[in-house]
Amino acid sequence: MKIVHSWLKDYLGDALPTPEKVEELLTFHSFEVDGVEEIDGEVVIDVDVLPNRSSDCLCHRGVARELASLLSVPLQHDPLTQKVELAYTDKIAITIQNVAACPRFSASLITGVTVGASPLWLQSRLRALGVRSINNIVDATNYVMYALGEPMHAYDADLFKQVDGKWNFTIRDARVGETVSLLAEGGKDEDRVVELVGTELLIVDGATDTPIGLAGVKGGRYAGVHAGTKNIIIEAAHFHPTTTRKTARRLGIVIDASKRFENEPTRELIPYAQVEIIKLITDIAGGTFEGWVDEYKEVKENPEVTVPVDQVNALLGVSLTASEMEGILSRIGAHILSTSSGSFTVVGPFERTDLVIAEDFIEEIGRIYGLHHVASVAPEILPGVAVDVRQFYTEALRQELIQSGFSEVITSSFTNKDVIQLQNSLASDKSYLRSTLKKNLHKVLDANFTHTDLLGMPDVRVFEIGTVFDKTETSVSEHTSITLGVRTKGNGYNPKDDVILKKACATVEQVLGVALQWDEDKGVAEANLSAVLSTLIKPTSYGEYIAKPAATYRSVSVYPAMSRDVALWVGEGELVYDIESKIRHAAGDLLVRLDLFDTFTKDGRTSYAFRLVFQSFEKTLTDTEVTTYMDDVYKVVAEKGWEVR
Amino acid sequence: MQVEKGHQHPLTQMIAEINQIFSEIGFVFASGPEAETEVYNFDKLNVAKDHPSRDMQDTFWFKGKDVSEPMVLRTHTSPVQARYMEAHQPPIRMIVPGKVFRNEATDATHEAQFYQLEGLHIDKGVHLGHLKGTLEYFFSKFFSGRTEVRFRPSFFPFVEPGVEVDMKLLDGTSKLAGKWIEVMGAGMVHPNVLKGCGIDPTVYSGYAFGIGIDRLGVMKYGVEDVRDFYTGDLRFVNQF
Repeated sequence: MKIVHSWLKDYLGDALPTPEKVEELLTFHSFEVDGVEEIDGEVVIDVDVLPNRSSDCLCHRGVARELASLLSVPLQHDPLTQKVELAYTDKIAITIQNVAACPRFSASLITGVTVGASPLWLQSRLRALGVRSINNIVDATNYVMYALGEPMHAYDADLFKQVDGKWNFTIRDARVGETVSLLAEGGKDEDRVVELVGTELLIVDGATDTPIGLAGVKGGRYAGVHAGTKNIIIEAAHFHPTTTRKTARRLGIVIDASKRFENEPTRELIPYAQVEIIKLITDIAGGTFEGWVDEYKEVKENPEVTVPVDQVNALLGVSLTASEMEGILSRIGAHILSTSSGSFTVVGPFERTDLVIAEDFIEEIGRIYGLHHVASVAPEILPGVAVDVRQFYTEALRQELIQSGFSEVITSSFTNKDVIQLQNSLASDKSYLRSTLKKNLHKVLDANFTHTDLLGMPDVRVFEIGTVFDKTETSVSEHTSITLGVRTKGNGYNPKDDVILKKACATVEQVLGVALQWDEDKGVAEANLSAVLSTLIKPTSYGEYIAKPAATYRSVSVYPAMSRDVALWVGEGELVYDIESKIRHAAGDLLVRLDLFDTFTKDGRTSYAFRLVFQSFEKTLTDTEVTTYMDDVYKVVAEKGWEVR
Repeated sequence: MQVEKGHQHPLTQMIAEINQIFSEIGFVFASGPEAETEVYNFDKLNVAKDHPSRDMQDTFWFKGKDVSEPMVLRTHTSPVQARYMEAHQPPIRMIVPGKVFRNEATDATHEAQFYQLEGLHIDKGVHLGHLKGTLEYFFSKFFSGRTEVRFRPSFFPFVEPGVEVDMKLLDGTSKLAGKWIEVMGAGMVHPNVLKGCGIDPTVYSGYAFGIGIDRLGVMKYGVEDVRDFYTGDLRFVNQF
């Protein structure tokens, strides 16, 4: 929710702190602040209002009230404490057919307005919020929503059909196949006609049964306010959050109004919003308020909650007295109804629909008092915990396989074709769950073989331990699978792979102490670990933990690496370290790896064979470029009197 | 060329280290299914029936024809809390490192699958101070340096009060040192969750926390793209 700093002054007066202080107060006591920016001379604070406070804080008055609680000051002006004294009119009739979905609906009539541009202060506030100014009437409806959190809609009364001198609003469920035309969405010219499935709630013109708006989600063009509009009807209502959310989601409509209805602002807000908008419109567009109609079918009151004093301190880890707690709660406008020894009974202010159980009030006490008062209690040292069999054995397997040159991978649980397809997926090639790790491991072998020089490995050896999914007669099943893979030659599977693979499978069985059912397939072997876990010897401790040396990751170049081999005869007494360092220096910065892969001695001379791997972070190296670097190496070799074999 | 030792994936390295740290303070390593029922993934955790997180936009659902009750790929490790509480009486101290799934667009900081670490401690008299002390203990060991933790208000359906946790490494030369970093969500287990799992909230209280292990890896090792954890690329794995 974007909050215009100067707007808060309307409610807080001189108590309004600087934007920096507002940010700090909200961050540590209420909500995260995503940013503060200046837009056309207004300081705008982007407040990430929490889901449980979206009922009362998606508006300026709500955030101002929050700040007043934190500062322990009263609001200088609070629209929600003004007495509502609005005259009624019998010119508007409201029929609510689904009270659960629409417990309250109101409409007020204002005659003789002059539609025109909004005053500059109003335009400027809306602009700061990124809202386009349309005309004074439409702007007023938006303004009151951002001020108090109640979405509103204005109709041209003369374009709205009257029957026997009455305007008729009906709120009813949509019928299957019925259509409603909705106002064009941002950036689009044409209105959107949507076909309804019957779960939506409609506002219809009761005289003709014409749908005029999708309740809570979006209005239509029916009886829209235009430049010549004289008489208007202003709607303010309460729509069920779930009905609103489901319809909005299905149609992909997320607008500020629907967002507010989804978060269930208090039903009590409606008359205050009407008072506010009537005052605003008669101020900026003239006209006379004729009266309003308020169909309030189902009242929902905040509950009275008993809060045990001990429980507050016990959950928060603080030591407040009962009167300190009550003092904090009165700051948020809660009413302490009664106190007895050891507890008090409290009810939240009407706009705080989120305060329903003792823990809700405990949270209020904690955050307003300040969570920084919570003192750390160091944990007890309690050795000898029960050992998890799967974690123990999978970790033991990892350590043994690593000793045999195998590296561990973790691959995607999603795949393009398998047994179980999900209802929804990120992409069509990720819509199934894997029933085997083999398929992924084959891919891993293929992809990594090209990196053997770069990584200094004679072959690729990998394993994965992970969950795979399968179908049973009635449901889905899953188990932990282990898969090993070996690739010794670049052109795919080679029988030599199996020699290494078989040895590794034997290592696995040795660690577990049982034989496994291996499913072998071209250099890859997979077995079900879950199937044997219960038969393994129960470990009593995790054993000694050997900390790994700290690693710092360096990103990998996306460009291919190029390798060159060079074998040199050198005289006695030359140190490999020196030779390597000379080669490194000569080869330049793009040499990313230098491996000694062969050594032999004959007639007092030694031959060293090195593999040099070049790679750039900026481009694919050409053969010519690498040859240039190698020429530099040969030059140094010649200078040193070494002989290239 | 000689065969050298292989490399352990950084995620399982971190899980082993996390387990080591928590096992010394009495936390049991627990696990649960990745294919989870709607009841455990949402209902038991006090997530409202119409909560947006249940939508297909956020959660992967199994097809109705494959399952006998509504099932999802678990969106967090929290269902294991409920399963564990139902099977054990307090005092409970447990951690759950495990894979979780979210139906969201992937980028350098988001993957549709990632690892999460859940922690739960239920006993008589457990409060936010215990949570703070335990997290400070954990981070100090995991990041090898004195660590401070602070709380900010937050909201998760399964805790009340809920907090956002920031940490700060007090010494050292690491890039992380000296600044507050937002790391996880936590809070006191909601009474509805305790009740639903057969634990009396008037007798017992407890805290729960959840942190992305991938994110810990980003902080610990300087990994820049969380998707790298799942590529099977040894140019990545062999650096650890």
